[in-house]
Amino acid sequence: MLQASFTGFFGLAAIWFAVVVFRTHSMVRSALALLFSQAAIGGMFLAMQTEFLGVLQIMMMATEMAIMAIFMVMYMMDPGGLGGMDMTHQKRASQVVGVLVALAALAVAFFTSWGPIASEVRPAQQVHDLGIEIMERSMLIFETAGVTILTAMIAATAIAIKRRGKE
Amino acid sequence: MICGARQARPNFFRRLVARAQARELAAFVVPGPEAARVLGVDLEAVGLRISDTPRHASVLLLVGELPLGLKKAAAVAYAQMPRPRAILTIGAGDVSPLPEPDVAARPRQEEVATGVAELRRLFARGAFSPEAADFDVDAIRTQTEYVCPMHPEVVRREPGSCPVCGMDLVPREAAGGNDHDAMDHGGDGTHHESMDHGTHEHHDGDHSSQGHEGQDEAHSSHVDMDHGDRDEGHEGMDYGGHDQGGASHGEHDHMDHMGMEYASADEGDSQANPGGNGGSEHGAHGEPEGHDEHTGMRHGEHESHEHMDHNGYGGHDHGGHGHMDHGDMGFMSMVEMTEGLPRSSDGLQMEWVEGVPFGPLSPGLPGGLTLTLTLDGDTVARAEAKGVEGRPTAENLAGPVEELVDRLAQLDPLSPVAYRVLALRALESGAGVEPDESTAFARVGALERERAASHLGWLSIFGRLLGYSWLEDRAGGLQISLVRAANADEVARLWVEAGRLSRRVEKTPLLRRKLRGVGLLPEGAEPLGPVVRAGGVATDVRAGEEVYLTLGFEPVVRDGNDALSRLTVRLAEIEQSLDLIQKAGEMTVPEPVTNGEPLREGSATVETPRGAATLRLMPEEGAVGTIELDEPSARHLGLVGGLVEQRELGDALVGVASLDLSPWGMAR
Amino acid sequence: MSALLAVLMLLVGAYLVAVLEGWVSTGRLRPAGPITSGLALLGRESVVPRQPDRIFFEVAPPLLLVAALLAAAVLPLSPTLIFADLATGALFVNAALAYVMVAVVMAGWGPDGTYAMVGGFRFLGQLIAYSMLIVMPITAVAMRAESLFTTEVVESQAALPNAIYQPVGFVVFFVAAMAVAFLPPLDLPTAPGELAGGIMAEYTGWRLAVMRLARAVLVVTLAAAISVFYLGGWLGPVLPPWAWSAIKTLLVAAAMLLVGRYVPRLRETHVLEWGWKIGIPLALLNIFYVGVLLLVV
Repeated sequence: MLQASFTGFFGLAAIWFAVVVFRTHSMVRSALALLFSQAAIGGMFLAMQTEFLGVLQIMMMATEMAIMAIFMVMYMMDPGGLGGMDMTHQKRASQVVGVLVALAALAVAFFTSWGPIASEVRPAQQVHDLGIEIMERSMLIFETAGVTILTAMIAATAIAIKRRGKE
Repeated sequence: MICGARQARPNFFRRLVARAQARELAAFVVPGPEAARVLGVDLEAVGLRISDTPRHASVLLLVGELPLGLKKAAAVAYAQMPRPRAILTIGAGDVSPLPEPDVAARPRQEEVATGVAELRRLFARGAFSPEAADFDVDAIRTQTEYVCPMHPEVVRREPGSCPVCGMDLVPREAAGGNDHDAMDHGGDGTHHESMDHGTHEHHDGDHSSQGHEGQDEAHSSHVDMDHGDRDEGHEGMDYGGHDQGGASHGEHDHMDHMGMEYASADEGDSQANPGGNGGSEHGAHGEPEGHDEHTGMRHGEHESHEHMDHNGYGGHDHGGHGHMDHGDMGFMSMVEMTEGLPRSSDGLQMEWVEGVPFGPLSPGLPGGLTLTLTLDGDTVARAEAKGVEGRPTAENLAGPVEELVDRLAQLDPLSPVAYRVLALRALESGAGVEPDESTAFARVGALERERAASHLGWLSIFGRLLGYSWLEDRAGGLQISLVRAANADEVARLWVEAGRLSRRVEKTPLLRRKLRGVGLLPEGAEPLGPVVRAGGVATDVRAGEEVYLTLGFEPVVRDGNDALSRLTVRLAEIEQSLDLIQKAGEMTVPEPVTNGEPLREGSATVETPRGAATLRLMPEEGAVGTIELDEPSARHLGLVGGLVEQRELGDALVGVASLDLSPWGMAR
Repeated sequence: MSALLAVLMLLVGAYLVAVLEGWVSTGRLRPAGPITSGLALLGRESVVPRQPDRIFFEVAPPLLLVAALLAAAVLPLSPTLIFADLATGALFVNAALAYVMVAVVMAGWGPDGTYAMVGGFRFLGQLIAYSMLIVMPITAVAMRAESLFTTEVVESQAALPNAIYQPVGFVVFFVAAMAVAFLPPLDLPTAPGELAGGIMAEYTGWRLAVMRLARAVLVVTLAAAISVFYLGGWLGPVLPPWAWSAIKTLLVAAAMLLVGRYVPRLRETHVLEWGWKIGIPLALLNIFYVGVLLLVV
């Protein structure tokens, strides 16, 4: 019961912060609201007793959102939010897509058989199992993802470098 | 009661707090800690911590006679200090517009020590008092005006809406003629920013706004009226500006807000000032994330860049940056906003933030030096340096000949002896007199002592800028010992210590990397003094003087023309000067030698610690008549702009500091 | 009970670090220094800048404190003296430290002042440099312990402390820890002398007291992390476990504070360059080296 209420609380917090992301006019507030939204999702993970995922989520999101804050401020005109710029675009389309995706997510949540709920959770065992999973069955997935990200980083860096001799 | 007490009834707990505050005195020194060292006063030894910003200080410490410009800056700094606060002066006279100092001491160590003890007693007793008075001077007053965020040229005295686009006018402070100095209290722009412009401080406990004369409307955004508890949201200081005889500033001059204002600079007008910082200008500029920016600092107001115009200073022109006029408030990307601006060296094009002040009371720069930077991200796009406002200039030297020597010595408190010798030599050349050998040797000793002390003082400030606390403390301590040294034997001991300091500094890990290539002078620059000698050119006035040649003098020359070579040149010169003092044997400046003949035109050149200074006299009827004075810092002033362009902020500051500018010797 | 005791020891540690910091910077040892400073600060006016981003301005100091406390919560002083022995302890330390950065950025953006802003964003640059360097040595440490439990990490060092077993990781982590706590010479966000206090410049009164407390707690936490991960935590002869923990933590804190006095501040370009070009390869090598040691030797 306690667990469900905490999960619900974090879920609502995540939604609320996500709304703030789009309602606020300040870029930096928007980025940090996104951070806290993701951190709330991490909190949900923790409430659902998936400790590693929760901690990982909280950790990664802090750094990622800070980077996003930098980019937002760098490239956008009004980081302080004084101009009252509207943060939303393509309202119609996004509303439709949002509703559709929400319905799809609910369908997946309700109609999938998730298997039995673990009666006893030992976090250390979870970490161990996760590690084995990554290294054995899902290794190909993670390796591919890792190499893809690395390639993207290198490509982005290469594009950003001023070409010598052309300037 | 101390002059800056907090308004409250003293009770048991507050008395305890007051006693704690008395033990934890932190001083903000105007013009800077080096001023105290030059007088031979060791502030750390009396238990005063030196604070970088007025915000963290509880005592305002004024050292020496200050010109009006610095006093105004000090007033603004004082207004920024959180109460309870006190004022201590050392060797300063009248300090208006500041209130009467709580303790005034003469520049002797014992007196300062007793003064500080007295100050502690005053603090413990009087930090809280029901009769605390507000501090309000013209220097910190501003007026509000209302401006359209999209159209900065639309300015009104009352709130309303913009005739062009219909948006509501946003309040902003306007300064009356500001004194740039005053704006920068504390020296660091920061204070500006946070300073609440436009409001006056109110009393603690005075929860209503009645304490504010006049500018109540300025409280448009009175952020923290924390009534209820005694902490007051003090919106700081207003800077305002005081009228500078006629400079009409119409709407601008927000000098004050420099820093902040930038941000404020118009949101509507291409704002987002992204100031990238973070560093990155490194070869691999690839990492865009490395460029953090200074985001639009002021997510607040909309002021246009033009307002950064400092009137009163010959115009700081906003260069090629007109503000973008957006006909519509459509989305504008950074690319569009920065069209037309020169490309930044690190490849990341940012909005320019203009007029960020560093000084006149900035901790890492010589006290009194005002450096106004235009920041492009974290890169400096332009810089302008100014000296101390209101300092005496060559015009003030006119008068009877007898007083010339003293007046000239007062011109630059950082090197009085050099100027004294300069005046003496000019007079002697005018009278056709040659000083005898012992006088010459004594003058050499005095001049070299000042040179070594000045370089040590510079080392200490430089250490503070670099974040190298050991150097700051050690060089400062050596400077004080040298200033207090009574005879040449003590100097011999200091010579050994200086040698050790020099070797230790040269072996400091990472120092070379920090300084190499920083502060390179632009092409065609012709500096003087240690700066030119650091570029491989052996220009030294002393090499042409017989006295020095008999003592075996050779100019110290290094290659590199960057901050590192200037550091090594000055380190070597310190040792050389101390060595020369020992050889000369004496360190006094005897009285001028005259032969009663009428004065004719005379001139002299002396190698001051910062470079060659030349004085030409054309006496008329027994008075001084026309004077021409060439000072090294005036020449170096012009080098600042080229030196810092396209450098990262930290490197730019190091470069400027490596020039060892004397803000007293700079032309207005 | 032991949880409370752990918190108490942490605060005592923070107090001692504040005394140490005072000693290092002024040369005078004042045991009652932090109390007097704290009292003095509480009695001073609290000045708020005119148009701050209020939420960020207010949240930054407590967030800094909370982040440091959370990181400290999973570090053991002795086998039983730990606030929360999480199964993902070593990772949790890193997660909490990430919020230090969030707090610093808030402190930079909040007050709406140039110096604070420059300081805040310089810290982001520093973050880019150190963030990998904090995690990778922890990975190698966890490899040796075969667990993320901080208590097990300490116990795995019974034979040989990690500082000797993986010295490269030790050095990298030490430097990265100094970057997290923005201690000189990596004190770009506060840069006294250049930025006149940077992110701390706009705080006065009780908020400044909270910031300073948070900083002291952060230094203690990082020193404790270094001693737990690399110096064998509570292991040692003769003295009781908590005493060893305390001694090692304080020694590490003293070392971190002293280094800054004798080295000039690093240039931002160098921090980033060396972090990426030297630090990351070294950290990767360290992981590889530890892997070889564990699997082969």
